[in-house]
Amino acid sequence: MAPSTPILAWLLFLPLAGAVAVLCLPARRADAARWIALATTSAVAVLGTLVFAGFDGSRPEMQYFLERPWFALPGPHGSPVPVSFRLGLDGLSILMVALTAVLMPVVVLSTWGHVAERVKEFMVWMLVMETGMLGVFLSLDLVLFYVFWEVSLIPLYFLVGIWGGERRLYATIKFFLYTFGGSLLMLVGVIALIYRFGSTDVYFLSDHAALLPVQDQLWLFAGFAVAFAIKVPILPFHTWLADAHTEAPTSGSVVLAGVLLKMGTYGLLRFGIAMFPGAAVALAPLFMALGAIGILYGALLAWAQSDLKRLIACSSVSHLGYVVLGLFAMTATGLAGGVLQMVNHGLSTGLLFLLVGMIYERRHTRALDQFGGVAARMPVFAVFLVLAVLSSAGLPGLNGFVGEYLILLGAFERSPFWAVVGTSGVVFGAIYLLMATRKVLFGPLARPENRALNDIGAREVALLVPLTALLVWIGVAPNVFLDRTRASVELVERRIDRARAAAMAETGRPAQLFAKEEPR
Amino acid sequence: MTPDAIRAMLSDPGLPLALAPLAALGLGAVALLVACVLPVPRWVGGGIFLGSLTAALVFELALLRAETPPGLVLDGTYLADRTSALWGVLFLAATALAWLFSVHYYREDRPFKGEHDFLMLCAAAGMMLMAGAQDLIVFFVGLELLSIPLYALAAFRRARTASVEAGVKYFLLGAFSAAFFLYGAALLYTATGTVSLVELKRIGVQTTLGTAGVALIAASLFFKVSVFPFHLWVPDVYQGSPTPVTVLMATGTKTAAFAFLLNAVFLLPASAAATIAAVALLTMAAGNLAALVQGDVKRMLAFSAVAHAGTLLLVFAGALKGDPDPGGPLQAALFYLAAYVFTAAGSFGLLAWLERDGEPSTSLESLRGLARRRPWAAAAMTLFLLSLGGIPATGGFLGKYLVFYVAIRAHLVAVAVAGILLSVVALAYYLRVVVAMYMQEPSAETVASPPVPGRQSAAPAAIAATACAVLVLAMGLLPGWFLDQLR
Repeated sequence: MAPSTPILAWLLFLPLAGAVAVLCLPARRADAARWIALATTSAVAVLGTLVFAGFDGSRPEMQYFLERPWFALPGPHGSPVPVSFRLGLDGLSILMVALTAVLMPVVVLSTWGHVAERVKEFMVWMLVMETGMLGVFLSLDLVLFYVFWEVSLIPLYFLVGIWGGERRLYATIKFFLYTFGGSLLMLVGVIALIYRFGSTDVYFLSDHAALLPVQDQLWLFAGFAVAFAIKVPILPFHTWLADAHTEAPTSGSVVLAGVLLKMGTYGLLRFGIAMFPGAAVALAPLFMALGAIGILYGALLAWAQSDLKRLIACSSVSHLGYVVLGLFAMTATGLAGGVLQMVNHGLSTGLLFLLVGMIYERRHTRALDQFGGVAARMPVFAVFLVLAVLSSAGLPGLNGFVGEYLILLGAFERSPFWAVVGTSGVVFGAIYLLMATRKVLFGPLARPENRALNDIGAREVALLVPLTALLVWIGVAPNVFLDRTRASVELVERRIDRARAAAMAETGRPAQLFAKEEPR
Repeated sequence: MTPDAIRAMLSDPGLPLALAPLAALGLGAVALLVACVLPVPRWVGGGIFLGSLTAALVFELALLRAETPPGLVLDGTYLADRTSALWGVLFLAATALAWLFSVHYYREDRPFKGEHDFLMLCAAAGMMLMAGAQDLIVFFVGLELLSIPLYALAAFRRARTASVEAGVKYFLLGAFSAAFFLYGAALLYTATGTVSLVELKRIGVQTTLGTAGVALIAASLFFKVSVFPFHLWVPDVYQGSPTPVTVLMATGTKTAAFAFLLNAVFLLPASAAATIAAVALLTMAAGNLAALVQGDVKRMLAFSAVAHAGTLLLVFAGALKGDPDPGGPLQAALFYLAAYVFTAAGSFGLLAWLERDGEPSTSLESLRGLARRRPWAAAAMTLFLLSLGGIPATGGFLGKYLVFYVAIRAHLVAVAVAGILLSVVALAYYLRVVVAMYMQEPSAETVASPPVPGRQSAAPAAIAATACAVLVLAMGLLPGWFLDQLR
């Protein structure tokens, strides 16, 4: 099972090495910093693609496994608990790792346009963040996961706070404190798990925590779930997102939407559903409801926006509502749809943020009523924007449809009501997205500033083409991606079914959140 | 004591090694005083200081490596074993760091630097006595040996009202706490007939009189570690004292007092654990919430010191309740204090370095835009603040983890969770400093003010700050070595 080359260690630490290299440059060599960052992230993208290609989706156990002992924590009864540097990939994380690896060079390439000051520091933070994000998806050790989770907060704090928009200080502090508060609750859960089981191995804990009584599982799940719910974000913890997205620099927004939010859904999947299936079964109705309500709420919120970037930020809440709905349907279809939609959202929303950034660089405004008829002057831009919008809305043939369809199908198997609510969200999604597109691209070319616009150039097209190609590829041939998650998703589904059966056997009824003890 | 007993005591083979660190500090102190009087070049004083610290460190390391540590010496009043050697290493590190930051700090008071260093050596010796004391009177000697030099050091900048005020305040309140301690020791002696901790462990404290004595002793120690409600002196004293002295106060005094608390934990009844946990929570709340509203970074760090003392008190509460792992609380306290010594020394020390000579400017405004003017200082300060907040990959995180783990193991779950959540409050004010350094432009006065003429080299301070930063990162990323040493 363990290959001879520690490719995951390379994948993980290459960005950090790049960050150190950039750090050693003098501050005025901005171009050198950019090229080193681009080279590093491209190398990571190549490694990520290799790993993705070599991944065998028919086996649910971890692949490319790597383990090095790190240190020992005190254990429950004085015996030490070894914390090791344990990296691995399975069907739940492979798509996220591939997404992160592929998205980062695009992000770095986009900074050519909008990061002019303190470029060296920007690249350092970007590269450190890439290590942090990859570490979150790759780590199979609980403490290591927590370390990477927290470490990935810090670069974004600086990225938004230094290079962000007008209200960046407010947005970044709110983001950091909100997310950090959630992570602290996760820390309580981590300590509790280590204390209870004396191990930090995620697979070991997943097997054993599933055997805990449901009440215990609920407490532990709650600790972890709050942190992830804040990150996703699930209503009512969503208030930090709009500000953070709007005030972040373009590349920051792309990374935030593309990968960081997925850390929350990935966490819910691996540390919520897969680790505490009994609690997940009991809480599934609640989360499905929150997901469906999030779909509608995010869509309505987006519809009301007059700032294009804020509109897309609110659409993130809506799209991730789909993911939550699909994940907590906990059927193989729903889970696969949720995992795929994580990637889809990353690609389409990342693409949208890039496009917004491009037009912001030209007009320095994001207000919807400042545009109109732009397609006449920027036809290539219009093509990409329409493609991104249609993918986000879920047009068949593009990636969004595949994910949404699987999610809604899976949700319908579990709870037809919430599935119907979610499906209606598709309509709203189309409404606000097409409305925004019309206001920006079509209509009369009235304003003189818009008449003077130049179309996007070669560098910008080079940014957009890979993501757009992926949009189409996933839409047309999704099995390439779905196959890689199949075994792990089915394993999770089996675990859930076992928990559901256990709950049924114990109480004679389907599992409920606050089950009353009935006399037998 | 009979002459025979004295002879037996003095012929203990472990005695030289046990007392060697103290002797090194004492001899160094005397030599330093002599050097103050004689017309020797300035560097001789510094050399003596460093030499005596190094000698003491060498002896402590020898103690650590010894196959059979001396154990109880001097008729059971002083304990020289592995644990006390570890504490000793921490004290020496704290003193060395405080001294490095003080080398080029003073302007008007430079002529009296020799006395300053002498007082620091006395304080270090006092700390060692406090940590090794197994007898209440010996502990009291150590307490005064630590405190009185600190009173003088707090008021060292005699031309500044803030400094003198700090010294007077510290002295008055410290004198009260010393009196409490003596009174409590007297009550304990009346109740049990002994002041020896070894004897007290054997016979236990049964009567109400004894418990009252223990309570007074605990109150006195709580003053020293700045725990609610005895923490009110901390912000004024920390802010008014010269910043290198604040380094010593924040790191050394706290560590020494906690060392003795952990030694003497058995004096309190197990039922006091809940009270101690409540006090710890109140301290964390008081420290964190008060720090939120501070505009001066030094004062904010002082309140954060109070909050950290509250966190450490949880270890004490856990030890009281009885830990299934007997070495657990001690290891947690040692790691937390080690991380805290380097973090607090680094953060206060960087403030000392950034203060313009004779012009205390530790307000938040003066730190604005620091990232552009001094990028490495700003980076180090950020690292220290993140460690104080408990972000992973720093030593502070693992220290907090160990402390909360002990608390949870002792079933003080609610308090631990509340303490963990208060970290969010803490991070709010730490981040304010990071925001000022990285994300705000320097205020007009900072840009306009010319560099101070004849500004002395900052090499010792830079070395100390770098060492602290490296150690804080090492404790976070490679904690295995540290955890093994502290077992």
